[in-house]
Amino acid sequence: MPHSRFSPRKVFIDKECHGMPLTRRVIKNLSQVPTELVSDPQRFLEERRISRDAIKQGRKDLFITSQKGEFVKSCPCTPRYVGCNYFIINLDLNCPLDCTYCILQHYLFDPILIVHANMEDLWKQLDVFIDQNKGRALRIGTGELGDSLVLDHITENSKDLISYFRGKNPVLFELKTKTVNIQNILETEPASNIVISWSLNSPRIARSEEKNAPPVEERIDAAQRVAEKGFFVGFHFDPLILYAGCEEEYESLIARLFDRISPEKMAWISLGSLRFPPSLKPVIQERFPWTKIIYEEMVKGVDGKLRYFRPSRLDLYKRIIRSIKKNGGEKVPLYLCMESDAIWREALGWVPKGKESLESYLSSPLGNSKV
Amino acid sequence: MKKERIDLNEIFLKDERYRTSFHFSLEKLKLSLKETGLLHPPLVVFRSERFILVSGWKRILACAELSLSPIPVLITEEKDDLKTFLMAFYENLATREFSLLEKAEILTRLKRFGEDEKRITRDYMPLLDIPATLPNLDKYLAFSQLEPEVKKAVHEKNMSFSSVKPLVEFSSRERKQLLPLLLPLGQNKRRELLEDILEVSRKSDTAVHKILLSPEIKAVQESETLTPLQKADSIRLLSRKKRYPAFSSMQDSFESLLRKIDWPEEIAISPSPFFEEEDFTVRFTFRSEEQLMAGLLKLEELSARKDFSKIFKLK
Repeated sequence: MPHSRFSPRKVFIDKECHGMPLTRRVIKNLSQVPTELVSDPQRFLEERRISRDAIKQGRKDLFITSQKGEFVKSCPCTPRYVGCNYFIINLDLNCPLDCTYCILQHYLFDPILIVHANMEDLWKQLDVFIDQNKGRALRIGTGELGDSLVLDHITENSKDLISYFRGKNPVLFELKTKTVNIQNILETEPASNIVISWSLNSPRIARSEEKNAPPVEERIDAAQRVAEKGFFVGFHFDPLILYAGCEEEYESLIARLFDRISPEKMAWISLGSLRFPPSLKPVIQERFPWTKIIYEEMVKGVDGKLRYFRPSRLDLYKRIIRSIKKNGGEKVPLYLCMESDAIWREALGWVPKGKESLESYLSSPLGNSKV
Repeated sequence: MKKERIDLNEIFLKDERYRTSFHFSLEKLKLSLKETGLLHPPLVVFRSERFILVSGWKRILACAELSLSPIPVLITEEKDDLKTFLMAFYENLATREFSLLEKAEILTRLKRFGEDEKRITRDYMPLLDIPATLPNLDKYLAFSQLEPEVKKAVHEKNMSFSSVKPLVEFSSRERKQLLPLLLPLGQNKRRELLEDILEVSRKSDTAVHKILLSPEIKAVQESETLTPLQKADSIRLLSRKKRYPAFSSMQDSFESLLRKIDWPEEIAISPSPFFEEEDFTVRFTFRSEEQLMAGLLKLEELSARKDFSKIFKLK
């Protein structure tokens, strides 16, 4: 799928979802793709788990089913590090971009791209959730267990989601992507509480570790178009990956980003360095034997995940933060993903305290602040 | 199936097509045979004009050592190798646990006798307590390809799956070089050594044998005063330093600072694991108010020493 829009080999449809509006829409948008009804989803998924590269094979097909559990969940973040108080909507699961470091290889049990079609349940659950948290500047998004836009030409979910969240301030809704699949966004009216954000990395890492995602320059170009349309945009430098010369390449990327996009349109920038549970390492070794990113000096953090040795990642954060500020991003809210108090203090000079501290800070430039 | 008495030399033991157990001790079984005789006849099959052993390798080898012959055997007339092998498999499955290498041999035989890979994965691997995926099948099939001396070590040291898994990543030559270093170590240190060497090799694109020939490792290997365990452990620590240079350097600085401050052994001080947090822990024991006060005063005195504050600035 080199940088073109994703098209599955086949669409499998849970019999229960046949006839649902989203299922009909997917079939219409993939009229050339063969479909198959699945009468026993559990057996279907079990069969697929057995195969030799179940993860890779699973990312070639699409399975439309219903979300039996809760759509909205609190982001698990990571134990004993500073949490970001983010909420996730588990709408699509898995991602065809198949980046080498992707946590989904380890985290998701079903190795197939899943689209949940029971949208009516989602809207009902969201109504209840927002009502229960009335007045809070909640941040909520779909980009945790899949890329928010990679299937958007197929599902068109972005239109419905933006339409649902429009005007629901102070709730902030974020679509997070590595793609340039922005056609539906450009056809939608912006709203002050909607943020479209991109994961960015150095061009070298994007080329070697994010092979199926568009080049970074194209992502910045897409972000520029979305910002010009009137949306707030966000950027996630995550995972930052250490290699000889990485600092200069990240600095140069930041300079190019601020050249193209006005800081006033930036809702936030987050930074996070490569981290993963030890059990992901053999999966990466097996699936991507050529990658060397797992052989940098990574030690076990207090949450049990492997991460760069503290002085190394602190130096990288400091350099990137300096570069963001130097390029005009002094007022753009910055936060660290899954980092310790100590790193927050040393890199950013403050540590969020209390449940709503970070969400208030991040909502301020969008005019949503409660503080 | 019929039962007969046959001479031991009528069984062609060089044909090991159904054999999955190696490297076992016969002493207890020989004692049992002496006391009670052969109560459970081994299973044989007639192939190419001779008897081939299907199940009962330990029993047959013990009988041979005791020169017990003729012996009772069960003879199956099954023509299909897979079905014949399954008789042995299910007989053993019901009566004992399989070792790691036996599981590898069983899966290899199933594949060799034409069983479909997906069926092996779905139907047999759960019976062997192996997670049912094809990549896991591949790993076990690779275990069965290890050299005999490596297999013997795996068996004798009762190596775990996680210790053997990195072994298959090395070449045959590399495994033979590493084997003497692995044998004296325990499970965790053995796995640590293998993983560190492999990862240093992959990160630096340096062949394993070249890493093992580096001057500091060579010096340890050629030492005439160190025991095999001391050699293995020293090389493990050297490999750790190569794999984690920044952490090892900070650890060395910390230890060197403690020496400079003349930190007493009776008060233990340690940073958080891998210096991930800023915290340090001190620990000392006391059994009276006086000892507690003495320890606290000592700590106060140590913290006032000139270089003490440097522990908070280690880089």
